Amino acid sequence: MKTLLLSALLLTGLRAAAITPPDTTATGPGKTAAAAGRSARPWYRPTHLALQTGGGLGMVATGAGYEYAKGHIDTDILIGYVPKHYAGSTLSLASLKFLYSPFRLPVGEKFQVTPLTVGAYFSYTHGTINDELKGQYASDYYWFSTDTRYGPLLGSRVTFLAPPIAATGQPRKISFYYELGSNDLYLASYLNNRNGGLGFGQLLTLALGLKADF
Amino acid sequence: MFSVIDVRRWARVLPSVAAGMALAGCNLIEFSPNDHRVPEEFTNLTEKNLARLAAKPLAPGDTLRFIFTGDSQQFYDEAEALVASANQQLGISFLVVAGDISDFGLAREMQWVDEKLRRLTVPYVTVIGNHDLVGNGRPTYQHIFGAFNYSFVYGNTKFIMVDTNGREYNFDGTAPDMAWLRPQLANADGARRKVVISHVPPTNDDFDPALRLPYVQALRETPGLVFEMNGHNHSYSITQPYNDGVTYVNSDAFSERHYMVVTVWGDKQFRIKRVKF
Repeated sequence: MKTLLLSALLLTGLRAAAITPPDTTATGPGKTAAAAGRSARPWYRPTHLALQTGGGLGMVATGAGYEYAKGHIDTDILIGYVPKHYAGSTLSLASLKFLYSPFRLPVGEKFQVTPLTVGAYFSYTHGTINDELKGQYASDYYWFSTDTRYGPLLGSRVTFLAPPIAATGQPRKISFYYELGSNDLYLASYLNNRNGGLGFGQLLTLALGLKADF
Repeated sequence: MFSVIDVRRWARVLPSVAAGMALAGCNLIEFSPNDHRVPEEFTNLTEKNLARLAAKPLAPGDTLRFIFTGDSQQFYDEAEALVASANQQLGISFLVVAGDISDFGLAREMQWVDEKLRRLTVPYVTVIGNHDLVGNGRPTYQHIFGAFNYSFVYGNTKFIMVDTNGREYNFDGTAPDMAWLRPQLANADGARRKVVISHVPPTNDDFDPALRLPYVQALRETPGLVFEMNGHNHSYSITQPYNDGVTYVNSDAFSERHYMVVTVWGDKQFRIKRVKF
């Protein structure tokens, strides 16, 4: 099951990454061309590529994503990497993010601020050293999973609106984002200490990233 | 709701806020909960604590007294109360945590526990527990605390700390490492007495069954052994389960809100007082 999920995520991510942005120097603007260009996109074609560091999803994580509901909802699929030097073994992470941004604020003609993005992620880590061999433990010996993590996200985004692609009229944008997050194990530790044994700030992780529509 | 000026100000401020946060805590940018990047002050803790201990040697003839506890895993509220209580005790040289410092083998947990225990007025030492070995706990514990097997002499007593978490190695015959342990037990390093401390007691199912007999036998044959001490059970006991004259002491977990004040003197005399906190 774990392997299946990982390979499914990997495949989607790779396929998305393999699609190169269309030629931006082509000429021939026009509304019909734009409409045709966009409707001609296959349903599975991602709307953006993403690159980030941190957030528990890799020293470097890259992938692609989709936008729905007029850009209010994002789904990102990321493949992350942590070198052996920092974790004792090389880790690869497959992650899925769901983000909801209720509003956007234009700042001039070229910028847009998304002050609030809330969401959640799910990640699977491959390559941990001691993650249970068959028969090593009785079932529920450890109540938690070593490799599967999930948690909430809260962030913001600043978007630079680039000129539309001349050939298709498709708008382009590049966003910088940050996300504060945590994970199920940190939150469990916090909730099990109701007398202030842990501060909320101690649970936080930070991700910094870029998203480019194409 | 927002004026354009407000928005413009935010647009200017946001990147610098993010950059400031990145600088303020580089480990806020966590690569994975399994990574072990922590500030330098949270690394090599065993070595640092032993250096602090060595700096305050016990006067010859003084009775050795230390606090014994175990299984701090996820009990941060209790850790605060324990430290407050332990700091009231007089004549204590150090504190021992008998493994399971963390619950998930994660660096942040070990750092959180250290943030509590570094407020002790005395140094503390640890032995690795099964929970500390989960996931990438091995390199994490190694980086933050240090060796899995080590020994030190204090107050005319040799303390031998040994990894007995056999199940975490799928009972491959390496834990406890008898080839390391036997010479440690044989050599007193100039001390009068010996104490062995490990996490999983040999009576437990998580102890490598193939090594149980050799371990118990090696302890039985150790001259000057005061007792063997464990955690793992989250329950206080002082027994001689093998009726061979070797005393096994099991600690409370932090969650039991009790610790032991252990006093050792003479050849192998001891007194244990259980303290509620």
